[in-house]
Amino acid sequence: MISLIGYYTTQFGELWDKSLFDLVIEAINGVLKQTRLSNKQIDAVFFGNMLAGVLENNLHSPSKIAEILKVNIPIFRAEAACASGGAAFNLAKTYLEANSNKNILVVGAEKMTDYSPEETITGLSAASSGEEQEAGLTFPGLYGMMANYYLEKYHYVEENLAYVSVKNHYHGSLNSKAHFRKKISIEDVLSSPYVAFPLKVLDSSPISDGASAVILTNDHNMIKKQKYSAVVMASELVTDTISLKERKQIDEILATKNAANIAFKKAKITRGDIGVAEVHDCFSIAEILAMEDLGFWKKGDGGKRIKELTTMYGNGGSLIVNTSGGLKAAGHPVGATGIKQIGEIFLQLTNQAEKRQVKNAKYGLAHNVGGSGGTAVVTILAV
Amino acid sequence: MISPVKIWRRQKEIRKVLGKKGRVLTWTKIYTPGTDFKKYAPYPVILVELKNKEKVYGQLVDYKDGDLRIGKEVVSVLRKVREPSIDGVIAYGIKFKPL
Repeated sequence: MISLIGYYTTQFGELWDKSLFDLVIEAINGVLKQTRLSNKQIDAVFFGNMLAGVLENNLHSPSKIAEILKVNIPIFRAEAACASGGAAFNLAKTYLEANSNKNILVVGAEKMTDYSPEETITGLSAASSGEEQEAGLTFPGLYGMMANYYLEKYHYVEENLAYVSVKNHYHGSLNSKAHFRKKISIEDVLSSPYVAFPLKVLDSSPISDGASAVILTNDHNMIKKQKYSAVVMASELVTDTISLKERKQIDEILATKNAANIAFKKAKITRGDIGVAEVHDCFSIAEILAMEDLGFWKKGDGGKRIKELTTMYGNGGSLIVNTSGGLKAAGHPVGATGIKQIGEIFLQLTNQAEKRQVKNAKYGLAHNVGGSGGTAVVTILAV
Repeated sequence: MISPVKIWRRQKEIRKVLGKKGRVLTWTKIYTPGTDFKKYAPYPVILVELKNKEKVYGQLVDYKDGDLRIGKEVVSVLRKVREPSIDGVIAYGIKFKPL
């Protein structure tokens, strides 16, 4: 049995006084303190990060982490664009399946606000295909294409998408670590300027700095000693074409669908068992597609279902989605996001989610996507 | 990073998709581009399904607002696609015109 025994995240936001590794150090120290583990009790580290090589000419981060931790253990960096955190977690779980009685630190971090938006957007575009880059497509552009296709196919309008942002900003207002703490209205979303038609500023997750860390263990004595723990029932990573145009469907992320089907089968639970979920809402359309592709909503119903706001905290729904504020309001430091999502599920299942605590959730799901759907990681935790 | 060699290698492939007709499968309009496309913004990018079912991305040029719709017929043309490389080599590529 593999358990998650601790989680710490830094504040997400525009953290100009902190470097990438200042954030990594804070996250590592935070999670070690929480689990009362010393650096010498960590047997391996997996680090999720996308942009340090592209933006900062800063690679070989495992060795930098060895220097920070003052250890000489195996340390690996995982890169899968915005799913780098989820990929690092997935690798850590796989590592534990091959090694008994080990404690693994998984840390994800990103420093994105040192550069102009154009430079960061260009860096992020490295995760799309060459043809997409040459056509001047950005990630908002690729999700804009998905959104336009979806809205036309199912006869929805931009207002349907806006409900995702309103819900997630409300959740962000309840999370002290979130980048945005401000509640917004449908009108605010609809009157915000376009980023990539039909997506607007308030349909889009921000460029953020931040780091998040968790500790995984398969040492039963260690689990017993901890105040909080959750079981990792499944963590599945599935890949697909890097180009949106090569996929069978423009309005479906097949990697999500497949990862979810495998994860639910392995966890031996049904969609109805999940009480809380963190899904990859890099753009409003992405949460709607995620809810459909994960199997919570029927294909094409998402635009209608989101307007009911049953997945919003406080509305009495059986599944609450993105209590952290999601990528939209909690912020999206890309390497940290996948770890923060899993960490939020851990907080919810262990009753540490404070003002946004969902009652009686026994199972939670985290869903992390890289690029326009070239990688998806679905993780299920239980208490 | 773009380089003259990369531009040369890619440009050998362009003639194969010139003058091809197809329909707009989906589209977007980019308002916040990356560094190399900043001076062209806002610009529309379309995903076209050619008659042979091949799918190609490209910017739409010489268009009116009404041309930006799913199903619109377009044809591929040769155009400058981005800022020249630091060595001054101009990158040509595929864009589309409404029919």
